[in-house]
Amino acid sequence: MTKSRSRRITAIIRYTVLTIWAIVAFFPIYWMISTSFKIDTQWFAWPPVYFPDPPTLSNYLNVWLGAQEYASTQYAISSQTPLVSLLNSTIIATTSTLLAVVFGAVIAYGVSRYKILSEARMFQLLMLRMIPPIVVVAPLSLYYSALGLLDTMFGLILIYFLTNLPYAVWMTKSFIDEVPREIEQAAEILGASRWRTIFEVVLPLIRSGLVATFLFILILTWSEYLLALILSKTNVATLPVELSKYQGTTEGKVYGRQAALAVGITVPLMIVGLIIRKHLARGFSFGMVRR
Amino acid sequence: MAVATAPPARVAPRHSAREISRSRALNRFKWSIRAPLILLFSLVLTPVLLLQLYFSFHEWTVYLGSWWEAEFVGIDLFKEVLTDERFGWAIVRSLGFAMGSTIGCFVIGFALAYLMYEPFRGSAIYYIIFILPMLTVPIVVAYTAEMLLYQSGPVNDVISRLLGVDFKPAWLTDPKVAMPAVTLLEIWNWTPFSFIIMLAGLSSIPREPIEAAQILGASRWRIFWEVQLPLLRPVILLALVLRFLEAMAEFPKTWALFQGGPGSSTETIPVYIFLTTWQYFQISKGAALSYVAMILMVVIVLLAIQLLRREKRALDAMYSSKTEAAD
Amino acid sequence: MTVARITRRVFAEGGLGLTILNLMPFSKFSQALAQSTPEERVIAAAKGLTPTDVTGIIWSPYLVPMQPVIADFKKATGIGVGAVQDISIFDTPQRAMAEALSRSPQFDFIHIDSNMIPSLASAGYLEPLDEYMKKADFKIDAVADYATFMTFKGNTYGIPTDGNVHIQYVRKDLIENPDNKKKYADKYGKELKFPETWEEEYQIQETLMDPSKDLYGSGSLRNRANGPTWWYMMLYSAGGFPFDDEMKPTLNTPAGQYAVETYLREKKVAHPESGGWGTPQMIPRIAGGNVVACQYWDGTAKLNENPEKSKTAGKWLYGLVPGSDFSGKRIHRSISSPLAALLINKYSPRKAQAAYLALWLASGKNSIPIVSDRVNTFHDAWAKAHMTAEPVIKSYSAAGIKAIEANFQVVSPPVYLTGYLEFQDTLGKNLSEAYVGQLPAKDVLTKTENEWAAIVRRIGQRKLKEELASYKALMPKRDRPA
Repeated sequence: MTKSRSRRITAIIRYTVLTIWAIVAFFPIYWMISTSFKIDTQWFAWPPVYFPDPPTLSNYLNVWLGAQEYASTQYAISSQTPLVSLLNSTIIATTSTLLAVVFGAVIAYGVSRYKILSEARMFQLLMLRMIPPIVVVAPLSLYYSALGLLDTMFGLILIYFLTNLPYAVWMTKSFIDEVPREIEQAAEILGASRWRTIFEVVLPLIRSGLVATFLFILILTWSEYLLALILSKTNVATLPVELSKYQGTTEGKVYGRQAALAVGITVPLMIVGLIIRKHLARGFSFGMVRR
Repeated sequence: MAVATAPPARVAPRHSAREISRSRALNRFKWSIRAPLILLFSLVLTPVLLLQLYFSFHEWTVYLGSWWEAEFVGIDLFKEVLTDERFGWAIVRSLGFAMGSTIGCFVIGFALAYLMYEPFRGSAIYYIIFILPMLTVPIVVAYTAEMLLYQSGPVNDVISRLLGVDFKPAWLTDPKVAMPAVTLLEIWNWTPFSFIIMLAGLSSIPREPIEAAQILGASRWRIFWEVQLPLLRPVILLALVLRFLEAMAEFPKTWALFQGGPGSSTETIPVYIFLTTWQYFQISKGAALSYVAMILMVVIVLLAIQLLRREKRALDAMYSSKTEAAD
Repeated sequence: MTVARITRRVFAEGGLGLTILNLMPFSKFSQALAQSTPEERVIAAAKGLTPTDVTGIIWSPYLVPMQPVIADFKKATGIGVGAVQDISIFDTPQRAMAEALSRSPQFDFIHIDSNMIPSLASAGYLEPLDEYMKKADFKIDAVADYATFMTFKGNTYGIPTDGNVHIQYVRKDLIENPDNKKKYADKYGKELKFPETWEEEYQIQETLMDPSKDLYGSGSLRNRANGPTWWYMMLYSAGGFPFDDEMKPTLNTPAGQYAVETYLREKKVAHPESGGWGTPQMIPRIAGGNVVACQYWDGTAKLNENPEKSKTAGKWLYGLVPGSDFSGKRIHRSISSPLAALLINKYSPRKAQAAYLALWLASGKNSIPIVSDRVNTFHDAWAKAHMTAEPVIKSYSAAGIKAIEANFQVVSPPVYLTGYLEFQDTLGKNLSEAYVGQLPAKDVLTKTENEWAAIVRRIGQRKLKEELASYKALMPKRDRPA
C-alpha cells in the first residue's frame, strides 16, 4: 500500500526533524543544569565534561545559602545571598504585573465596550512597548533620581507597570471581546453600576484569561535586565542583575555558581510558562492571534 | 460589533432627562478610566522625553558641571551623530541582526509548526520542549552561551564528533563570527515565539477549503501554497513584524556576551547607545543618538502598525466568521 | 524558656558593659601616649563620631578578606560596613559616575580603580582625605612613590587596598630545560634566560611555545577592555607619552608605532582566542601551565604558588616586566591598573566614618592579612610593610615579592586625567580592532589621536592642561629599579 508507506515516511521525517530540533532546543538548558552540578574543575574543561562526575550540590549551597565551606575551596561568595534578590524580584514582578493586569483589564473593558480609546490610540499604546527601552533609560534615571525613585521598589514597580500596560490591555481585551454582552446588559438592568459590572461580572468571566495574562507578563518582568540594571542599586537588585555580578573573577569564570543561580532564576519562569502554554501565542501577539 | 458603542446622546435629537444623566454617567465612566492613563503616561513620559530633548541640544560635559548649566549647541550633536560612522555601522548591524534572526526564527518556527499542527503521538512533549528556550531569561541565555561556545567547548566538540572533522569556529572571539553567533542565539531563544504563533495560526485555519481542495485531488504542496499560505498571511506578517521589532531592541545577550567586541563587531544600536551614555558619559551625544534611533524605530513601528492594523482586521474577520460558523 | 532568655540577656548586657569598660581606659591611654601605633591613632580620631554602619560599592571578592579587619574596627569604634552594592570592579567606574552625576548621598565609599580619581573629583564627588589623615597622623606608607597615585591636583583622594602592579611571569621549568636552551641558542645565538626586553620576551615565547600540547607563548591580555593596560607599558618604555604640553595627543609617534607593533606581534604566539579573552579565561590558562611567559597582575602569583589550585606551583620565575632600548636607553615601565582604592563620597553624611574606616584598613598591620588571603587573591601587596611580612611572602613566594617591589619602582598609570573611561575605551576599541584584523595597524594611532582630540575638546583643553601635572607626577622617576 503506497498510501500507508507514504504516511510512514512522513511520520519518520516528522519525528526526525522534530527530534533534532528538540535536541538543539534542550541542549543549552541541559548544559546549564548539568554545569550547576559540576565541581569547579569541570566548568571550563578541555575537552568538555558532559556529565557531572561526581555531581555536587556545592554550587547551590554556596550561591543560594552562602555556605562558606564551599566558598573556601575556591571562590568568594557575595556579601548578600541572592535570596534577597529573589524576594525583590518576586515582590516587584508580582506587584507591577498585578497592577498592570487589573488596570489593563479595566481599560480593555472600556475599549471593548465603549471605545474609550480609538483603534489608532490603541496602536499608539502598543508603540510605547515597541520602542527599545535603551533610548530612554538615561533621562529616566535622571528623572528618577530627582524624584528620589532610584533604587526603590516603587520606582521599578511603576516603570514595569507602565511598560507592561500595553500588553495587559491588548491581551485582556482579546478575552473580553469573547464575552457575550448579554450578561452585562442583564446585570445593568438589575441596577449594577458599571464598576460593579466590571469587577463582579466581566472579570470573573474571563478569570482564566486574566491568570494567563498575569503569568505572561510575569515572565516578561521577571527576566527584564536593562531597566533593573540602571534603576536599581543596593536596595532592590533583581535576580537578572544579581547574576551579572558573577561576570568575572580572578580564577576563571565561576560558571558552576552562575549556573546554579541561573537554574534558580529560570525554573520558576519555565513552570509558569508551561502552566499557561496554551495562551502564550495570544500573549506574545498582543491578543491578535488566538487558538 | 458596534452595538453598544454608539452613545445615545448623539443619536437622539431630543433626549429625556434620564438619557442625559445616563450619557453623563457614561462620560464620567470613560474619563475615570482615561484620566489616570493619560496622567500616568504624561507624568512619567513627558519629563523624560523633554529631558532627552534638552540634552540633545545642550552639550553636557559631566565632569564640568550640573546638567542644567549645560551649553546650548544647537543641532551640533545631531550633525555629529548623523555623520558618525560608528553609528552608521551600528544601524547596519542592528538591521542585519534583526532581519537575520527574524527570518531564521520564522523559517524554523514555521517548519516545526507545520509538522506539528495535526495531532500525533508525543506532540505535547515536543511542544513543551520547543517552548523552553523562550522561557529562559535572556541574561541566562548569554551566560549559558558562554559556557557552550568557547572554542574547545561542547558545541564545537559535539559538531566535530558528528561530522567527523574538526569544527572550530571561535564563536566568541572571531569578529567575523561574533555577530552571527548572537544571531544564532537569538534564533535559538525566540524560534518558540514564531513556532507558537504559527501553530496557533495553522490550527485555526478553517478545514473546509483544504478538504475541498483534497477532494479535487490537489497535491499537498499545492494545497499548502494556494490554500493554507494565503489564509495564513496575517499571522505570518504578525510573527515577522513583532519579532523584528523585538530584535531591534535586543540588548542583554549582545551586551553580556560581547560588550561590543571583539573589535567593534557587535556594536548594535542599543549597545552603542549604552556605551556612549554609560561608559563614556556623553549623555548629550547619547541623547541625540537615542532620538535618531527613536525616530528610526518610530518610522519602522508606524509602518509595522499600518501592516498590523490591516492584518488584525483580517484576523478578527477570520475569528468572528469562525465563531459564527460555530454558532 | 524564660530562664534561658533572661540569662542570655543578662549575659549580653554584661558583655556590652565589659566592652565599654575595656575601651574607656584604652581611648584615654591612646591620647596620652605619644608613641602610639597608627591603628590606635585612627581609632582615637574616629572616637567622637556617631557609631554607624557605612555603605558603599565594593565587589565581594574584595570585601570578604576585609571583613575580619572591619569587625575589629566595629568592635573598637562602632563603625562597620552594612549592605553594599556588590558589582564587579570592572563595572564600578560606570556606576560611580552615575552616582557622581546624581550627587547621590547613598554610598559612603566606593572601592574602585584609582584612575577614576580625576573624573570623579572633577565631577565634585570626592572628599579630600588630607584632613582626616592629618587628624589621625596617618601616612600612606606605600612602596616607592606609589602613594602619589592617590593624589590629584594636590589633594589625596584615595586609600589603596590593592597594589595590582604588573610583574613578569616566565615558566622556570621551560627556560631551564636543556633542550629548550639549545634550541634557543641555535636560533638566536644567545643564552636562554629571563627576558629583559620586549624583543627577548617574544623570542622566548616563539621558541618555547607548542600549540600541539596546548602550550602558547603569551598569556598577556589583548581584549578590548584590558588590552590598553599592556600597551601603555610598551609606549612608556619606548620613551613615549600620550600628550604634549598643550594636550595634543602624541600617539602617532615613533614610540607609539613601536608600541603598536610590539603589541600586535604577540598575536603570533598567543592562543587563537586571545582577542576575546579577559582574566576569567586567561588566569586558569596561566596557572594551568598553558602559557610560556607574560606580564600579568601580581595577584596571579598567589594563585600560581598555591598547590591546591595550580598545576604550576614552584615552576615560575618572577621579575621585572620587559623594557625597551627604543629611546636610546633602556627604560622599564610597569603598570598598575586597576589599582583598587577606597574613595569617599563628599555628599555622604557618614563620610568621616567611612574615611577613618578606609585609613584603618590601610594601616600596615591591618592590611597584611587582607593582601595575603590565599582564597580571595584580589588584594595585592602595596605597602612597605608588606614587603617584609611573613604571611605576604609566604603567599607570593620570596621571588614573587621581590618582583613586586622591583616593578613598583617603575610603575606608571594609564591616562590619569578626567575622562579616563573615554580615553581608555577608544584606545581599547582601536587596538582590539587591529588585533582581530578589522583595522589596519597603521590606522590605530591616527584614529585614536583623532578621537582623543575630540575628547580633549569636549572636556576642555585648558582644564586638562591643568591636570597634566598630576598625571606626570605619577610617572616614575627612574628608568629601571634601583
